[in-house]
Amino acid sequence: MLKEAKGEGFSFPIYVLFSIALLGVLWICIAVGSVFISPADILKAVWSSLRGLPVPDGFAQSIIVSIRIPRVLAVALSGAALSICGAAMQGLLRNPLADGSTLGVSSGASLGAVLAIAFGVRLPGFAGGGVMLMAMTFAFLSMLVILGLAYRLDCSLSTNTIILIGIIFSMFVNSIVNVVVTFAGEKVKTIMFWTMGSLSGSNYQDVLVLCCALLVGGAILLHYTRELNAFAIGEDNARHVGVNVRQVKLVIMIAVSILIGVCVSIGGTIAFVGLVVPHMARMLVGPNHRRLLPASLFGGAIFLLLADLLARTLLNPLELSIGVVTSFVGAIAFVYIFNLSRKGKS
Amino acid sequence: MRRIKVIAVILILLCLVFCAACQSPAGSGNEGQEQAGGESDSSFAVTDMTGNTVEFDRPVEKIVVLTAADCEIIYALGAGDMVVGRGSYCDYPAETADVTELQSGSETNIEQIVSLQPDVVFMSTMDQSVDQVEALRQAGMKVVVSEAQNIDGVYQAIRMVGQVLQKDAEAEDLIKNMQDTFAQVSQQVSEEEEHTVYFEVSPLEYGLWTAGSNTFMDEIASMLGLKNIFADVEGWGEVSEEQVIERNPDYIISITMYMEGETPPEEEIMSRPGWQQVAAVQNQQVWTMDSNMISRPGPRLAEAAQALYANVYGDQ
Repeated sequence: MLKEAKGEGFSFPIYVLFSIALLGVLWICIAVGSVFISPADILKAVWSSLRGLPVPDGFAQSIIVSIRIPRVLAVALSGAALSICGAAMQGLLRNPLADGSTLGVSSGASLGAVLAIAFGVRLPGFAGGGVMLMAMTFAFLSMLVILGLAYRLDCSLSTNTIILIGIIFSMFVNSIVNVVVTFAGEKVKTIMFWTMGSLSGSNYQDVLVLCCALLVGGAILLHYTRELNAFAIGEDNARHVGVNVRQVKLVIMIAVSILIGVCVSIGGTIAFVGLVVPHMARMLVGPNHRRLLPASLFGGAIFLLLADLLARTLLNPLELSIGVVTSFVGAIAFVYIFNLSRKGKS
Repeated sequence: MRRIKVIAVILILLCLVFCAACQSPAGSGNEGQEQAGGESDSSFAVTDMTGNTVEFDRPVEKIVVLTAADCEIIYALGAGDMVVGRGSYCDYPAETADVTELQSGSETNIEQIVSLQPDVVFMSTMDQSVDQVEALRQAGMKVVVSEAQNIDGVYQAIRMVGQVLQKDAEAEDLIKNMQDTFAQVSQQVSEEEEHTVYFEVSPLEYGLWTAGSNTFMDEIASMLGLKNIFADVEGWGEVSEEQVIERNPDYIISITMYMEGETPPEEEIMSRPGWQQVAAVQNQQVWTMDSNMISRPGPRLAEAAQALYANVYGDQ
């Protein structure tokens, strides 16, 4: 059962290829920014801070080491996490339009984050931990609510039902967020940023947290790629080939909640990354999840890095919100994919 | 089924449009002109800052004010006891707390205003839409609109409010006071070397927003001989953290609001990774100022100039 064909997954050379592409984009994103710093200075700054030496030319080091590198890393990790979530959910629900933002999971997570801030939920010894925990919990709860409703209304879990419920749920949750913001007064007025997302001001702690979340959540999702393949054909199919449907579904949903919760609490809701990237990856490597998930991981990092690069440099010295860039690209891609998938059916 | 799909796409696109619209900051208005109206027995007319002439047939006794700055002007002219309703952001001076609070901004409730039967309604095109002004006029309200974009505009607004309340002399006194304070502050400034300043409107966590050229903060800074590092940004804008560090301001003024128990903005700014090289952080020239005082087009701009002077150049 579920025996994998040889060569189904990624071979070592392909991993190397993707890694080289990612490293190339990472380098571009570190080298290009609002302030011009020559590649030699960048290397010097990185090298000397790795050895713990102060650099005489202080500004390059401050900007590269304290600002640009943590931000670029946070962006890459968020992109990877959101994309692998999107790919996993699209497989699990057999739904080409599934994604944290279209399903309302991200909105749910931001409600959790806003509630945590409004009511001062804190974890002792870990700044921002309360916000993160609430975001994860609410991401998971929203997923339960959305899927529960979807099953109730339409057992076949058709694409449209889930997406419509997701949108309705998002609007509902956003209205609650607005009520909370109104009552919490000035404290939460600025919090409206959760709805659009921003990764500016990321620090190494954010990077570390994202990294841990991606290691845990990503490993779980990558572990279940065969089961996701079975789900992609149909839940009955998965059951027939011996998948413990209930348990696998729950575990995948928990992994997705962890990833989305952490991403939202650090960067706010960044729309459409998880939707668009898996589709691009699918065009490259095909629908098999053993290849699709790793490809989405790398593709998501690259996509969000490039989007952030645009956001940072397009209107220099002004910054665009990264959500503006991803929504712009994403909305067009969304309609295109929708159109393709409709043609495919009829 | 096809129809449902179409509706789904439309809904999603609508969501996007709303998200994008919420994001963009409020646009700027036009320049306002204002002239004195003629007076005969108890009837008089005032031209507001959008050029609209409003006629009054008797002296004003009941005022509704929706704009915080106009509210401060009214109280400064000694007409606070005539205010029967105020917008939710009108929080200065403290006596405003006793006045009926009205919804303002995009939630302006016209019925609520009409029910108070005021003789005049003060609003501003910065906070309210032209449609709301029109709707109130349709409802028979006498609406006087202010639109101050700079300190000269504030003087015009004060004169205009003075005319409506028939307190022209008090208005001129108030303007004179402000002018004197500004003159006094800018006289004390030595012109030896030019220092730079960075205004922080929202903290790093939410993306750095600053006040560029054509803002009250910028105008007051230049009055004090300070150069705004983001003079190339028009109005308010979200700027890159890297740029702040490269432009290396001598002074940093934060108008971020914070709650008790949170880290004060100046401490947070000074502890930011990568900011240690910035002159203002090195010399501990980072302060928090009252955002309402320095960004509202009202009489307290003079106090803001004094406060900024005290921060930058030591005691007054």
